[in-house]
Amino acid sequence: MKLLMHASQINGLPVVTVQGGEDVAEVRDVIYSPEAGHLVGLTLNKRGFLSGRRREVLPAGAIHAIGRDAVMVDDESRLVLPEDAPDDVAHPGADRNVMGDDVLTESGASLGTVRDLVLLVGSAGDVVGYEIEKVDGGRGYIPLPAQLAVSGSALVVPDITEEFVRDDLVGLGAAVDDFRARLGLR
Amino acid sequence: MTDSFRRAGGRKLISRSSAQDLGSVAHLLVDAERRQITAVVVGRGKKARLVDWSEIGGFGPDAVMVSDESALRPPADDRERLAADGKLELLGQRAISELGNAMGTIDDVTFDPVTGALENLRVGDREVPAGAMLGSGSYAVVLADHEDPLP
Repeated sequence: MKLLMHASQINGLPVVTVQGGEDVAEVRDVIYSPEAGHLVGLTLNKRGFLSGRRREVLPAGAIHAIGRDAVMVDDESRLVLPEDAPDDVAHPGADRNVMGDDVLTESGASLGTVRDLVLLVGSAGDVVGYEIEKVDGGRGYIPLPAQLAVSGSALVVPDITEEFVRDDLVGLGAAVDDFRARLGLR
Repeated sequence: MTDSFRRAGGRKLISRSSAQDLGSVAHLLVDAERRQITAVVVGRGKKARLVDWSEIGGFGPDAVMVSDESALRPPADDRERLAADGKLELLGQRAISELGNAMGTIDDVTFDPVTGALENLRVGDREVPAGAMLGSGSYAVVLADHEDPLP
C-alpha cells in the first residue's frame, strides 16, 4: 500500500513497535537528502506532553512502515544513537533544509518557493515532490526527479517540471510516474 | 466452545476448596506472539492480582475456578505491573496495522476457554483472526498488513 503524505504530517506521529505495541518515541523531523531526493531518516522526540528530544535517530532503512497514524519499527533497538548511525542521518547538513527555497527551472524561470515535502510512504518512504507556493501566491505541487542541484537557497529542476505542476496531491500522485518516465528515470 | 473477553469481564473467581469468592475478572493478559491468554487479572489498581492460566481449574461460563487462594499472586515484572494497572487491556485498545494506519478499537476477543487460545478479534465491524496479531502493548495492538483495508 502506498500513500502520499506531507513531511509536516509525519512530524509528531508516534513511533510504534510492531512486536511490542508500544509507542517508544515520536517524530521530531524528517531528514531528507535534496540531492539524492530521498528520505534519510527521522529525528525523534520523547513521547508525551512537554517531553524533550530523544538523542536517538531512526535511519530510513530501519523503518518498517510509515502510515497515516504512526511510524512503525520492528522493535526499539531500531532507534540508534547518532554515533552508531550512518553519517547522513547523524549529521544532516544545514543545506538540507529546502523550505522557502526558490524552485528554478534550468532555463531560469521560477516556479515558486518550497513549502513542504511530499513523500510516498508505506513499507518504505521516498520523497517524490514538493508543495510549493507559486509565484501567483497559489499552492501547487511539483514532482521531483531522482536528483537535482541544491544550493541552500535555490534548487534547479528540469524545464519539463513546469508542465507537471499540479493543484493537489491526487494530481501529483498521477504526475510523478509520467514525469519520471519523461526524464527516462523509469 | 468459545468464550469472549467481553463476556468474561466481571466473572467471579471461586476457590474450589473453600467455595470463597476471591474477586472478579478485570481483564485477561495475552501473549500476542503465541496468541494465548497467559494470566487472568483479578481486581484493579494496587489490589490487582494475577492468576496464571495454568492455575485455572476451569474457565466456566459462570465462574472461573482455582484450587485455592494461593493461585493469586502479585505482578512479577514490568509487563505484569502494566497489566495490573490495566494498561495492557485488549478491550478498547487501539488497533493499528503494521503499515501505520489506525484500524479502530478492539471491541471483543474470542477464545477457547479450555486452552486459552485466542480465536478472533472484533475490530469495529470486522472480524480479524488472532493470527493477524503481531504485537500487543500499552499503546496499540498491531495487526498484519493484509488486514489493512486501505488499498
